[in-house]
Amino acid sequence: MSDPAAVEFLVLHGLAVKKAGTAEAVADILGEDPGCVGPALEASVESGRAVEARGMFMATPAGRGWLIEGYGAVFGPFRAAPEATEAYERFERINRDLLRLFTEWQMMPAGNETVPNDHSDAEYDNRIVDRLGALHERAERPLEQFAALEPRLGQYRRRLENAHDRVLAGEHEFVSGAKVDSYHTVWFELHEDLLRMLGREREEQA
Amino acid sequence: MTPVLERILILDGSVTHESDVVGGKGASVARMRALGLPVPPAFVLPVDECRRYHAAGRRLDEGLWPCVLEGIAALERETGRSIGDRSAPLLVSVRSGAPVSMPGMMDTILNLGINDEVEEGLGRLCRDPGFARNTHVRFVREFGHMVLGADVDGLPDDSIPAELRAAIVEDTGKAFPADPYEQLEAAIRAVFDSWVSRRAIAYRRHWGIPEDGGTAVVVQAMVFGNLGPGSGTGVLFTRDPVTGAREMYGEWLPRGQGDDVVGGAVDPLPLAAMAEQLPEAHARLLEAGRLLEHENRDVQDIEFTVEAGRLYLLQARTAKRSAQASVRTAVDLASEGAIDRLTALNRVTPEQLAFVLAPRLSEEVRAIAAVLARGTPACPGVASGRVVLEPDAADAAQSDVILARPTTSPDDVSGMIAARGVVTERGGSTSHAAVVTRALGRPSVVGVGEGVTAAWEGAEVTVDGNEGVVYAHRLQTAEVRYDDVPGLNTLLAWAREVSRVEVADETPEVLDLDESGVQLDPAGGLDIDALADYMRGAKAVTGSMITTADGARAVVLSGVPTVVPAAGQQHALLLLRLAQAEGHNDKEKR
Repeated sequence: MSDPAAVEFLVLHGLAVKKAGTAEAVADILGEDPGCVGPALEASVESGRAVEARGMFMATPAGRGWLIEGYGAVFGPFRAAPEATEAYERFERINRDLLRLFTEWQMMPAGNETVPNDHSDAEYDNRIVDRLGALHERAERPLEQFAALEPRLGQYRRRLENAHDRVLAGEHEFVSGAKVDSYHTVWFELHEDLLRMLGREREEQA
Repeated sequence: MTPVLERILILDGSVTHESDVVGGKGASVARMRALGLPVPPAFVLPVDECRRYHAAGRRLDEGLWPCVLEGIAALERETGRSIGDRSAPLLVSVRSGAPVSMPGMMDTILNLGINDEVEEGLGRLCRDPGFARNTHVRFVREFGHMVLGADVDGLPDDSIPAELRAAIVEDTGKAFPADPYEQLEAAIRAVFDSWVSRRAIAYRRHWGIPEDGGTAVVVQAMVFGNLGPGSGTGVLFTRDPVTGAREMYGEWLPRGQGDDVVGGAVDPLPLAAMAEQLPEAHARLLEAGRLLEHENRDVQDIEFTVEAGRLYLLQARTAKRSAQASVRTAVDLASEGAIDRLTALNRVTPEQLAFVLAPRLSEEVRAIAAVLARGTPACPGVASGRVVLEPDAADAAQSDVILARPTTSPDDVSGMIAARGVVTERGGSTSHAAVVTRALGRPSVVGVGEGVTAAWEGAEVTVDGNEGVVYAHRLQTAEVRYDDVPGLNTLLAWAREVSRVEVADETPEVLDLDESGVQLDPAGGLDIDALADYMRGAKAVTGSMITTADGARAVVLSGVPTVVPAAGQQHALLLLRLAQAEGHNDKEKR
């Protein structure tokens, strides 16, 4: 990353995906040196595209608008690549299965109704952890395809790997916890990142 | 005597086998057959064969295969069908069975043995070519995915087998075997190989499970619930899983097969329909249910199939049930003498009890409240507040707010944390919004309709995440009365009996753990023993951490005689926790 405007654009994009974060958190998403991300965030604050409070940065409406306007040009080659479309289709299919899996992790069937999973049934939980692993492996292919086109996206692979590993180690919060870098948290951010890059709308399952 | 061939075990029930030899599934089949229960015939390649395979550098040795053929012959004798036989084909399932279940092991492959010719024969046999086709497609998919490692999920369900196979061959560069025996050999290898899958290795590393173990392979005959009029499939719960009532509950799908019931693709009939249609099989099923519940000392969930009048049990396990049913069945089973009272107390988790006692909208309130919108319930619970449409507004709000969004992005998560409840216009019960609100425990209703929420800005509403309704105004919730939860008073009486700690509403000289800022966290704060030391000698304690398992154990260890509920803490929950802690500490002492 050399051109300051390009750096600022990417950094602001990383911030928008996460909504708010420290320079370190944004650097982690982008796989960049915090020493390079920090000044770019400062520059965004200067130009009114971001605000800062106690070390946390957040994109302003002006900053968001600037991103939306710029996406087409910055990610044009990505949007035009047939591999990106193909990988995104794979991603969407896995996304459907994953969201169903998170739902089953949180709610389990009891007769003809569903109740919150209190995680007292290890066998039930293990089967879901196992399926998460299978989907994690299935996701490798599209993630590789994305990273080949846009190396920055390789960071998601690392973060998903980390979340999966912690799930295997019995840290159940890392399946779908909303306050940690759980598998769902990282996947949700990746989804948002891809939608922004591809200029698509979020399609929710009915 | 079991015909123990040199290298395989036929699970005919003449002896039971340990799960460290035949794996969990194999042991369960052997045990059920030993009880005289009708289970489709099966044989197992024991764990040792997996060790041998890996010791030989991933090679099945020559001595094993003739034994596998013997096993197949035994299944053929018992079912009267044969592998590859077009007039009466035998299909089998192949599954892994490690002594300890772990991720990364191969999933079950069903319907192995089918190919184009067998499909035709099966279609004639059950007079249902569509079913034979589905069975074939499903097998090709599963085999392609699990054994050959293909990723072909993009192909539609009505693909024809030849197209699917071609796509799999193209994706993997591997041949797709048509010969049932080649299919079987490849599936057995795939099970053994899964022992050293990346995920299985990572799991064993995390949990310190030795690498030199292995997995068994269970090969079992498939039975068909759609062979003519005297056939069907269903599930039986030995007690009602929703209410916990002492009556058998089940679903029956005449001429249905396997996943039709579990998958919910077709609406099944009540079990009474089976009693009418197939009284003998029905009577045998109930008898099997009673026997299994008695043996396992807990409510059972049994999947079964009737093939041409003959009942088969496919799977029996501890039934999942509603929180309310957990309370009732635990108390009933103890009253019947199946389990002791301490076990009953441990069968109800504090999370279940909290769910049972969570405040709800009463029917009277719901009947007169104004409905703003209906959607899909995503996270249970009831929440009220003023509607905000922007996550930043939820972040900044000083009072209770409900966040309403068209759909959600990661942007909205901090707003969802700040809000009491969440409503979205688009999306269903598996949307990101649904997942996040459940993770946060924020009552939510999703998919209320495009453009519906904009008019609510600033209004007070109530989100009912149990029913999927958004009401106008802040509605009063009602506390659940203990008398209204069957079994609860008895359970709490037992908790008082077991626990030496009393829960009292008010007492002088209370040590307030929250006020003293004591933290239970071995990393930086106190461990259980240190916390117990800290409390020792106090006349009574109070604190939010006492509803955690470790907090309750520390109280019991300290010998403090009285606990006073902290703000918002439920009496019943404290009692249950303390009784469970008493049992836990007793076990440690022994």
